[in-house]
Amino acid sequence: MGNVIAIAQKELKGYFASPIAYVVIGFFALMFGYFYYALLVFFQQQSMQAGGFGGPEALDVNQQLIRPVFLNASVIVLFVLPMVTMRTYAEEKRSGTIELLLTAPLTDVQIILGKFFGAMALYAAMLAVTVVHVAVLFLFGNPEWRPVVTGYLGLLLMGGCFVATGLLISSLTKNQIVAGMVTFAVFLMLWVINWVASFQGPTAQAVLNYLSVTEHLDDFTRGILDTKHLVYYLSFITFGLYLTVRAVDTERWKG
Amino acid sequence: MIEVQHLTKQYGAFTAVEDVSFTVERGEILGFLGPNGAGKTTTMRMVTGYMPPSRGRAIVAGYDIFEQPIEAKKRIGYLPETPPLYPDMTVRDYLTFVAKIRGVPRAERRSRVDTMMARTHVADMAGRHCGKLSKGYRQRVGLAQALLHDPDVLVLDEPTAGLDPKQIIETRQLIRELAGNHSVILSTHILPEVSQTCQRVVIINHGHVVAVDTPANLTARLRGSETIYVLVDGGGADVASALTAVPGVTSVAVTGTDAGALACEVASHTGHDVRRDLAAAIVGAGWGLLEMRPMRMSLEDIFLHLTTEDSAEQPQIPEEHAVHG
Repeated sequence: MGNVIAIAQKELKGYFASPIAYVVIGFFALMFGYFYYALLVFFQQQSMQAGGFGGPEALDVNQQLIRPVFLNASVIVLFVLPMVTMRTYAEEKRSGTIELLLTAPLTDVQIILGKFFGAMALYAAMLAVTVVHVAVLFLFGNPEWRPVVTGYLGLLLMGGCFVATGLLISSLTKNQIVAGMVTFAVFLMLWVINWVASFQGPTAQAVLNYLSVTEHLDDFTRGILDTKHLVYYLSFITFGLYLTVRAVDTERWKG
Repeated sequence: MIEVQHLTKQYGAFTAVEDVSFTVERGEILGFLGPNGAGKTTTMRMVTGYMPPSRGRAIVAGYDIFEQPIEAKKRIGYLPETPPLYPDMTVRDYLTFVAKIRGVPRAERRSRVDTMMARTHVADMAGRHCGKLSKGYRQRVGLAQALLHDPDVLVLDEPTAGLDPKQIIETRQLIRELAGNHSVILSTHILPEVSQTCQRVVIINHGHVVAVDTPANLTARLRGSETIYVLVDGGGADVASALTAVPGVTSVAVTGTDAGALACEVASHTGHDVRRDLAAAIVGAGWGLLEMRPMRMSLEDIFLHLTTEDSAEQPQIPEEHAVHG
């Protein structure tokens, strides 16, 4: 456990010692702020109009504003996380520091978990920036807090799937750009895979809908904590990390 | 301390290292010598557990590196060919991180990092980012990294590469000091380094061990015959025949003239010192003996001898000095 923490700390320090953390968090904050503003003014206009017919009518802040904000955030995450995960393994392999990790008394699982939690910590820091925006809504409005908490949980779990996938892809190449591009393509595919679902037969439709990473996020943003989604996300993460362990081991045998 | 048995590494059809065996005792420095691409790095990577061997095994401090990797790796310090530094970390942060993952107890970390920075002369760069260090500093931080946890076994892949002459001397001195209670494998293609630092040498070529011995023995055994260089004045063409007549001499080659004097290389049987007789013959004939010295085969010659393509020129290594195993 100590080793996992040591690696995670090293990863996190690495993000903040290089421009990566600042660029990624900055970009995320900028995009999130823009989407938040756009949705807020739209919400404002809608509630004005609703108020116009027979007295003021408060709209549901959670459903009409916070939920779309979370769903939009998941799109930004899709663009940002490949930049976080693409260097995790590729950079270590290119610079030779992988020799240090693989010859230290560490297991592959410890190294991979360390890298996973390091990237997740950066992702959590990124999400923490958005707490400010949500806090403003609590200050001036009266939203439910539970859907906000489940929404964040959903975003964290979805990000976990992306990070696990990103780690796997980064462990397969020495080239950061290749790792980043392939990771992005896979994320995008996981996002849109159910768009064609309605044109398929019932079985294929169910499978495609189930595979889509964002489909499972929807219930979280509504404030629904469904075990089927938890199982989906957690098994996705575990499987991704397991494949990374196998990939690193295979790489080792190939030399 | 280190026991390497029949290590073999194959990449598909290509065999990088084949049937390499050697042992290193406690306190011994073993030089690992070979041209580039001979399989030095591959062997070291297998010994340190970076990659598994295709066949054979390596036992480090009593633990099989493949069967009990964690226990074995705790006892190894490894400096790879490229020092494994994180460019965005300061030297102190980097060494502290390495101390953590190598299992140095929390209470000792700071003092061990300080000690090692002092011993490898990098303390003045403690706050500098690793990516901004010169080659010499990178190499020494790499060395500090390998020594942090006071390992039983040190594996150093070209530890003096990129250092200036003063630093090379300091580093060799440090390695010799360490040998006291550590076992060291040191790879290099710099020959004087081997004769100055190592007690035993393994010469490897095309993935095969071609010789294992002490530098001195290698020099002696591989010579096969003694050659003496003499510079004779005033003898003219008679010198060659006169020297050939000396008992024990097998051949005389005139290699040139030096200001009227004749330079000859006189070969004789091993263990038969012909210098006294040679001198007597030359002086007795009334010629001037200007110079006489034994021609030793340098490690360089042996190395070239053992590793050149033409195997017909390879001297036969006596059985007891060939690879054990």
